[in-house]
Amino acid sequence: MEGVPIRNARRGDIPSLLLLWTAMMRETAARDPRLALHPRAAEVMAAHLAAWIQDPQRLVVVAEEGGRLVVGFAIGALVPGDGWREPRRMGQITDAYVVAPRRRQGIARRLVGRLLDLLYEKGVDSVRVAVAAQSPEAHAFWASMGWTDLECVLDQAAPPA
Amino acid sequence: MTGNQASVRAARRQDLPGLVHLRVHYLGETAHLEPRLPIAADARARTEQILPVWLGQEERVLLVAEGPAPEGVPAPLVGYATGVLDVRPPLLLHQRVGEVLECYVEPPWRGRGVGARLLDVLGEALRGRGAEVVRAAVPVRNEVALERFRRRGFRPLQWIMDRRLDAV
Repeated sequence: MEGVPIRNARRGDIPSLLLLWTAMMRETAARDPRLALHPRAAEVMAAHLAAWIQDPQRLVVVAEEGGRLVVGFAIGALVPGDGWREPRRMGQITDAYVVAPRRRQGIARRLVGRLLDLLYEKGVDSVRVAVAAQSPEAHAFWASMGWTDLECVLDQAAPPA
Repeated sequence: MTGNQASVRAARRQDLPGLVHLRVHYLGETAHLEPRLPIAADARARTEQILPVWLGQEERVLLVAEGPAPEGVPAPLVGYATGVLDVRPPLLLHQRVGEVLECYVEPPWRGRGVGARLLDVLGEALRGRGAEVVRAAVPVRNEVALERFRRRGFRPLQWIMDRRLDAV
């Protein structure tokens, strides 16, 4: 399918990735304050991104428009299973985001597709993603690509009265 | 402990054989309810190895629920729960997260508030260690467990979705 090119991220993408990641997290927190950002989040995430781009256990891909403007990104990882259940190794998609003006153009699907291809090449056959419960559009997006609910992460802010 | 109720307390070394049985039951039940979470073939052996380690971990809480027993007879273990205090990098506001990792009650003891007591004591212990919030990942097909958590004030935060890559 033609469209915005998808490529592996480079160190020079870190400022753009950080801007997009922060925008993604703010959108999420606006829907659910339980997922609000820490004041030091940008600084810490910048360090994570710099490390992840060079880490063979991490996969960072970007959608770049016009050869210079990053309009979306997705991050995946190879992670161990919990040791008690199969599989012993699996893939995880930790982030996927496209800027609002470029949505509904298939960019996110292609970003995720690239990650899945890369994870498959690394021998993984099961991949998981955490989707905010207050983002029904995000849930519908993943479901439309064949993802199904496995677990619900529940949160208790205060002990029962 | 009164009448035929179960009581909840911290696990001790002498509980280990009973805890192994409970944990294998828990893993087996989860696998039965959710085939995408199959139990590893060596789960029992690994549980026997790891439980003594868990008992010594400061960040971990390991509880048992024991049923009543006639005088002089050891009380049977009818459930257990475990969780850890996970201190995360400062990305999200809540860094100190109490994670409920497992909570299980033997089927004959369900519906008597044993799971609720385990969760309450576990949550209190995790908060006592500094947890700002308590979380748990529960298989969506385990409706009994989901309802148990909802009744204790837990609310959905995220869905963990999965996909097999055979079709990539």
